[in-house]
Amino acid sequence: MDIVVCVKPAPDPKFWERIQLDPITKALRREGIPSVLGPLDKRALEEGLRLKEKYGGKVRTIAMAPLGARDNLVETLAMGADEAYLLSDRAFAGSDTWATSYALSKAIKKIGKFDLIICGEWSLDGSTGHVGPQLAEFLDIPHITRTVAIEFTEEGALYTRSLMEGGCRILETSLPALITVAREINTPRFISLMGVLEAENKPLTIWGASELGIKPEEVGFSGSPTQTGEIFMPEMKRKGVILQGEPDELIAEVIQKIRQAIG
Amino acid sequence: MDFQLSPQLELLRKSIREFAEGAVAPRIPHMEETDEVPWDLYREMGKQLYMGIMIPKEYGGTNLGNLARMIMIEELARVSASIGMAMQIFHLGIAPLTDFANEEQKKKYLPSLAKGERLATIAVTEATGGSDPTGIQSTAKLEGDHYVLNGRKCFITHGHVADTITIMAKTGEGPKGFSAFLVEKSFPGFKVGRKEKKFGLHGCNTGEIVMENCLVPRANLLGNEGDGLKICMAGISEVGRAGMAGCGLGLIQACLEASVKFANERILGGKPISQHQGIQWLISDIYVDLEASRLLCYRAAWLRDQKLRCDTEMALAKFYATEAAVRCAKKAVDIHGGYGYMMEYPVQRYYRDAEILIASAGTSEIQRIIMARKALTSFK
Amino acid sequence: MKDLQAKKEIWVFIEQQEGCIAEVSFELLQAAGFLAQKLDQAEIIAILLGHKIRDLAYSLFSFGVEKVLLADHPCLENYLTLPYTRVISQLIMKKRPEVFLLPATTVGSDLAARLAARVRTGLSAHCTQLDIDEKGKLKQVVPAFGGQVMATILCPRHLPQMATVRPGVYRRAIGHEKTPVIEEVPVELNPADLRQKVLKVERAKEFTCSLEEAEIVVAGGAGIGNREDWKLVERLAEVLQGTVGGTRPPLDEGWIREEQMIGQSGKTIRPKLYIGVGISGVIQHVVGIQEAKTIIAINNDPKAAIFQNADLGIVADFRQILPKLIAALEKRK
Repeated sequence: MDIVVCVKPAPDPKFWERIQLDPITKALRREGIPSVLGPLDKRALEEGLRLKEKYGGKVRTIAMAPLGARDNLVETLAMGADEAYLLSDRAFAGSDTWATSYALSKAIKKIGKFDLIICGEWSLDGSTGHVGPQLAEFLDIPHITRTVAIEFTEEGALYTRSLMEGGCRILETSLPALITVAREINTPRFISLMGVLEAENKPLTIWGASELGIKPEEVGFSGSPTQTGEIFMPEMKRKGVILQGEPDELIAEVIQKIRQAIG
Repeated sequence: MDFQLSPQLELLRKSIREFAEGAVAPRIPHMEETDEVPWDLYREMGKQLYMGIMIPKEYGGTNLGNLARMIMIEELARVSASIGMAMQIFHLGIAPLTDFANEEQKKKYLPSLAKGERLATIAVTEATGGSDPTGIQSTAKLEGDHYVLNGRKCFITHGHVADTITIMAKTGEGPKGFSAFLVEKSFPGFKVGRKEKKFGLHGCNTGEIVMENCLVPRANLLGNEGDGLKICMAGISEVGRAGMAGCGLGLIQACLEASVKFANERILGGKPISQHQGIQWLISDIYVDLEASRLLCYRAAWLRDQKLRCDTEMALAKFYATEAAVRCAKKAVDIHGGYGYMMEYPVQRYYRDAEILIASAGTSEIQRIIMARKALTSFK
Repeated sequence: MKDLQAKKEIWVFIEQQEGCIAEVSFELLQAAGFLAQKLDQAEIIAILLGHKIRDLAYSLFSFGVEKVLLADHPCLENYLTLPYTRVISQLIMKKRPEVFLLPATTVGSDLAARLAARVRTGLSAHCTQLDIDEKGKLKQVVPAFGGQVMATILCPRHLPQMATVRPGVYRRAIGHEKTPVIEEVPVELNPADLRQKVLKVERAKEFTCSLEEAEIVVAGGAGIGNREDWKLVERLAEVLQGTVGGTRPPLDEGWIREEQMIGQSGKTIRPKLYIGVGISGVIQHVVGIQEAKTIIAINNDPKAAIFQNADLGIVADFRQILPKLIAALEKRK
C-alpha cells in the first residue's frame, strides 16, 4: 500500500500573538515564529502509519513550504514515514490553494504510483480545507473529506465514515483516492527516540519548480487565481456595563437584561 | 564557538518531552500518593533504548553521547525529578561497565542493559562512608573461584530491583585497597534490606542492600583488584554528577514555567502579579539561574563527548545547577504565595524534590573542595 | 464571447437533503440579493441538484431568485462529489457567472473546492463578509490564524468568483417574489464520475435546535471546572428554552459535541441573547458571537476579555449566580 501524506507546516500557534501587521507594506510579519506540524497533519500521518502497519507498503510525506520547514519533515520521518519531500522555491511564494494543489500534484506524479493520499481536513493557519479536494481534482481521483474511520474491502475498495452536519456518511470509493481526516480519527503517536535515530537515515528530497517542470507563472502570486488584498486585525468593540456586588442585586440586573433581549 | 544544538538533538529533546508530558506526567499523582515505582514506564523507555544512550552501538546502545544524555535527563526531570533521577542512576550503573569492563563482561551485560531488560545501579555508600568513600567497611575475600562479599550498603537507588549492581568493597588496605564487582541480584547471599521513606522524589526508591557471604564469580571483578576507587569515582564524578546537574536543570525549567504561568494568571491590585516588579525580580533570578546552569551543564557534557578532562567542569555544573534548583524551587513557591504550599500546585513537589540533589553524587561541599583545588592551582 | 450587455449572474448553490432545503441556502440568497443590487441588478440564479426535487425549486422564488437551474437524476439523489462537480462545472463552463456562492458546510466546502479546481478559478473559504468593490469585483473577507487576522480576498482574473459562507453569517432573505423560471439541465455522467457510492447516512441521536438557528444561546467555557458545574449551564439553557454552546475546553472534556462549539473554528451565531458563563473571551470565540444582539457575560475574573465584548458583564462566581438566576427565572414562568 503506497501512501502519500500531505502536511502543511505553519507558524506555531503558541506565538501567534507575535504576528504583526506591518503598517507600511500591510503584509503580515511572522519572522522568528517557528513552524510546526498542525494537529490534523499528525493525524493524517498517524493514519497512514497505521495502514502501513496493517497492510505493508510505504508512507511518504510531502509539503510545500519554505526551507525552514525541513525540520518538520524530519519530524514526519521520525514519526515513522519512509521518505519525505519538501517543495521549496521562491516561485512558490504567494501560492493560493489552487497553485499549491497544482504543485503538489506535479510532485506526487513525479514520486510515482500511489494508492491513497491523506491530508488533514484543514491547515493550522489558512484553514480553508481546499487543498485536499483540489489536489484530488488535479490527480483525477475521487476524494472524501472529514473522514473519521477507514477500512479496505477484500476487493480493494475504500470504505470511509465521514462527518457531516447532524451525523455521518458511509461511502465506498474505488482506489486510488484521497481522503482528508478530521480530528476524531485517531490519536497521533509520540516521536520515539528510535524514530529520531532512524530519521537520520531516511531520504529527504527537496524539489524546486524546475525539477517539477513547473513554470514560475503557473504558481506563486502570478499563478494564483485568488489574491490577498487588505489585511486587518479585527477589533472587537462592544463596551457595556460591568457589575460586581451582591448576588441578589446582580441577578435582578441580569433578569432585566434578559427581558430586554427576548421580551 | 557554536551554541546551537544540532537539529537531531532538538528533535531528540522534542521526542523525550512528548514522552515525558504524555506518558510520565499522568503517573505523577499516583507516584506521589503511593511512592510506587512505575515499572511499565521504565520498560517503555527501555524499548526506546533510553538506558542505552551512552552504550556503544556494538553492544546494542545508541551511543548518542553525554550531551544527548544531559538533554534526556533535563527533559525527564522537567516533568518528574523522580523519573529523571531513575534514568540518571540507570546510566550511572552502566558507566563502570562501558568504561572499565573487559570484552566478555561487556558482551554479557551491556546488550540487555541497553534495552532496559535488566536494570543497573551502583552501590558505594555505606553508613561509615559517604562523602569519604574510603570509610566503607564491606569486604571481598577471594576464595577459589569466587569473591565472598560481606557488608551493607545504604541509600542505594534502585537497590531493590536492579539486576546488575556495581559494588565497591575492600580487598586490601589503603587507597588501593578497594575493588569493584559486578554483582547480580540473583547471586547467593545478596539480599535487599530496608526501603527508605523520603520526603520527596516519590516513585524512585532508595534503600539498603545486604551482602551476607555473597558469592561473586572471579570473572565479575571489574578491572583489577585495587581499581575499585578509581572505577567507582570515575562513574560518580563524570556520569553521576552530570546526571544530578541535569535533574537540577530540568527542575529549574519547571520552576520557571510554573512561576510564569501563575504570575500571568494571578490578579492582585488590578493586574497580573507578573506586572509587579517584585515578582519580576524573582522571575529574572530564576531565569538567569536556568541559563547559567544550562551553559555549565552542556559544556561539561560536551567536554566529556570530546574525551577531554572534565571533572572540575562537572563539579561546577553539579554544584551550580543543584544549588540553583533548591533556591529556584523556593522562589517558585514564594511567587505562588499561599498556593505554593498546596498540594494541588506542582511547585511544592519541585521544592521537596530539589533538596536531595545537593547531597547526591558528591555533596556541594565535596564539589567546592574539587573546584577550590582546581582554582588554587590554575589561577596563580 | 460573453455578451457584455447581458446582466451579470450571481449563482447560489442550494443545499438540500432528503427533500429539505438547508437554512443556510436561504441565508446565501440574502447575501446574493445584497450583492446583486451593487452589481447593476445582477440576476440571482439558484443551482439545485437532486432527485425528484422539482417541487423544492418553487420555494425559492420568493427569495429573489430569477431562475433555478435544476438537475434531477437518480445519481444525484445523495451528494457525491464527482457527479455534482460534473454537472455544475459544465454549467459554469457554458455560462461563467460573475459570482458563485456556496455554503461553508460539509457538502458546500467539498463541492466548492473541487469545482474551483476543475474550472480554474479562485475560491475563498468561510467568508464572514462579502461586498463589491469600486471595480465591480467581489470582496471576500476571511479569517486566518484562528480569527486573529482578517484578510480580504479578491479573484481579479477569473470567473466565477467563488466563495463559501458559514451558516449564521447572513439572515434568511425575505422578499421580492419572482416569476418561477426553471431550466432543466441535462445530466451526462462518465463512468469516472461513478467511482463512489453512498452506503449509509447516519443521523446523530438527539435532535436539538442548531446553534445557528437558536434565538437564545447559553455557552460555558474553561471556567466551568467540572461536569457537575456544567449541568448549571445546561439548566440555564433549559429554563430559557435556549441552546447550549461552548468553547474548546468543554469540547475537549466531552461536555459538548463539535457542532456546539462557538468560534472561529466552530459556529458563528446570531442569537437575540447570548449568555457566556466562565468564558474568558479570547478572540477565537468572540468572533463567533459578535453578531449576537445582546451579550451577557458571567466570569469571576474582572479582567476577562469577554467583558470588553459584553453588553452586561457580571463579575461573580457562576456557582453562586447561576442557581439563584435559574430559580428566579423559574418563578417568573
